[in-house]
Amino acid sequence: MAVITYRQALHDTLRAELLRDPNVFLMGEEIGVFEGSYKITAGLLAEFGPERVRDTPISEEGFVGAAIGAAMLGLRPVVEIMTINFSILAMDQIVNHAAKIHAMFGGQCAVPMVIRTPGGGGQQLAATHSQNLEVWYAHVPGLKVVTPATPADAKGLLAASIRDDDPVMFIENLALYNTKGEVPEGDYVTEIGTANVMKEGEDITIVSYSRMAAVALDVARRLEEDEGIRAEVVDLRSLRPLDRTTVVESVRKTGKAVVIEEDWLSYGVGAEIAATIQEGAFDYLDAPVRRVAAAEVPLPYAKPLELAALPDATALVKVIHETLDATRFRG
Amino acid sequence: MATLALARALNLGLRRALESDPRVVIMGEDVGKLGGVFRVTDGLQRDFGEDRVMDTPLAESGIVGTAIGMALRGLRPICEIQFDGFVFPAYDQIVNQLAKLHYRSRGTLTVPLVIRIPFGGGIGAVEHHSESPEALFAHIPGLKVVACGNAADAYTMIQQAVACDDPVIFFEPKRRYWERAEVDTDAPLDQAFPLTAARVVREGRDVTLLAYGPSVKLALDAAAAAAEEGREIEVIDVRSLSPLDFHTISSSVSRTGRCVVVHEAPVFLGFGAELAARITESCFYRLEAPVLRVGGFSIPYPPSRLEEHYLPDVDKILDAVDRTFSY
Repeated sequence: MAVITYRQALHDTLRAELLRDPNVFLMGEEIGVFEGSYKITAGLLAEFGPERVRDTPISEEGFVGAAIGAAMLGLRPVVEIMTINFSILAMDQIVNHAAKIHAMFGGQCAVPMVIRTPGGGGQQLAATHSQNLEVWYAHVPGLKVVTPATPADAKGLLAASIRDDDPVMFIENLALYNTKGEVPEGDYVTEIGTANVMKEGEDITIVSYSRMAAVALDVARRLEEDEGIRAEVVDLRSLRPLDRTTVVESVRKTGKAVVIEEDWLSYGVGAEIAATIQEGAFDYLDAPVRRVAAAEVPLPYAKPLELAALPDATALVKVIHETLDATRFRG
Repeated sequence: MATLALARALNLGLRRALESDPRVVIMGEDVGKLGGVFRVTDGLQRDFGEDRVMDTPLAESGIVGTAIGMALRGLRPICEIQFDGFVFPAYDQIVNQLAKLHYRSRGTLTVPLVIRIPFGGGIGAVEHHSESPEALFAHIPGLKVVACGNAADAYTMIQQAVACDDPVIFFEPKRRYWERAEVDTDAPLDQAFPLTAARVVREGRDVTLLAYGPSVKLALDAAAAAAEEGREIEVIDVRSLSPLDFHTISSSVSRTGRCVVVHEAPVFLGFGAELAARITESCFYRLEAPVLRVGGFSIPYPPSRLEEHYLPDVDKILDAVDRTFSY
């Protein structure tokens, strides 16, 4: 397997899907001539031409709406929204149209489109450019929401999303673009709705997704080496549909769980995970399910404040220790 | 005391707000000449004039954006979003401007703006007109998110929301607009029950049932039915989703050891998820059973012939209550 970046995995998959299916096309702000704000679409305009790699005006509601129409008529648009923060402007199109059309027309018409968009903070982009809004989309019936954490999943889930007949919100993360990992070669598709046990363990379950899954994996490896704590790390990969079975089975084994997410705590993804765990593993729980999340403020611009607001490995380790201590795990 | 329908109580509350503070203005689609599609602003333009009760174009982003500017310059606007599903075009204004301005200006600016949204189903409307998007707003720091459940609260809470210096998303239970209750229209506002406090609306010792907006009446009906079988349900009208009066909730659940949450919004990632997570964390050693959730299915809101199957009802609530006793 080749070791490539998350960015390269996305680029290569877009190219492969453009080659595989003539109905696939890309559209978004600056994705053509400029090759994408984060260079995911580098070289694709030159190779596939302006019919299939379309630069759009700065009008998220307009180009998402256009993509919905194209999808309803049989094409497979892959839309890039420069950051998830700008998807808010297309919220009406996404929530009221893309998500509902299949049901509203009695199943006569599907909307096979993908909206690729990066979220996440930590880049000093301030309050309106550093949000994680995936929880909104995951609350909306009719959408699928995937959140790859690794280059391999970036490839497998993007291919699956483009081939899926439902609208898929494909949420990337700014801080993951340069991360590297092994990526299977050739046609590689990851089933949407399956979580991935990144690391096995018996002592405690850490549930996460996207960038925080990578943080969780690092923490788990360190805790095992340094303290002999064997944590199991579950990367959700897909928020909607959610793989409840994998999460609940893990907690039934370990009896303890911590959720870490980059987003604000209240009404976040971690709430649903904690609710799901207590419903599915109530009699197995030795301690309350704890959540690690961002401070509930608009994300500050100043670096020290931004770092203070975001969850990190230190915060996760602290809560893991507290959870283990609640069960007298460490004597 | 007066017996008022919920919509009428809101109308009277808005009238009081307009009378008591000249900075208060109302704006929205059809709120003026027509008096609102649900008649909540009926007669207000006639009595207060077109400068204070303004009809706007069909442009939610424009309505909210304009109102934010007016609030920054010292007015206290109340916007009406005609139906829940119409709020999405205004999301950017609400989330990126309204919710953040106080913080981003280090407290220099306040945005005293109320956005009224009729929400929920049960009136034979369809998708876009029967949505329950409250969890999305409650997730955003910088917004207060409240929901009234009866006429008395509607009358008081709308006036408290207008008097609040923070932006308030004010959810109104549209299927309850025509339900009547006693309203004390003479009670002084400054001594009223706090806007963001939860209220125990029926006491009981066996299980805590959490509801807000249109589901409160359902919860009370379920409690009455359960009482006939000897089971005492404590019902809490949560009233404020953000900030959350968690003390009232955890005190109750610590006593009863069981909890069911009911709302019309889809269960997945809804209000109930946050409550289940918090209660599990705070009341872990008191819980006899997992917190169970009753809510909408994971589908877009169905056509009106099917909505009674979609919406929570007394049977679904009592079934969940029964299940909490099977652990």
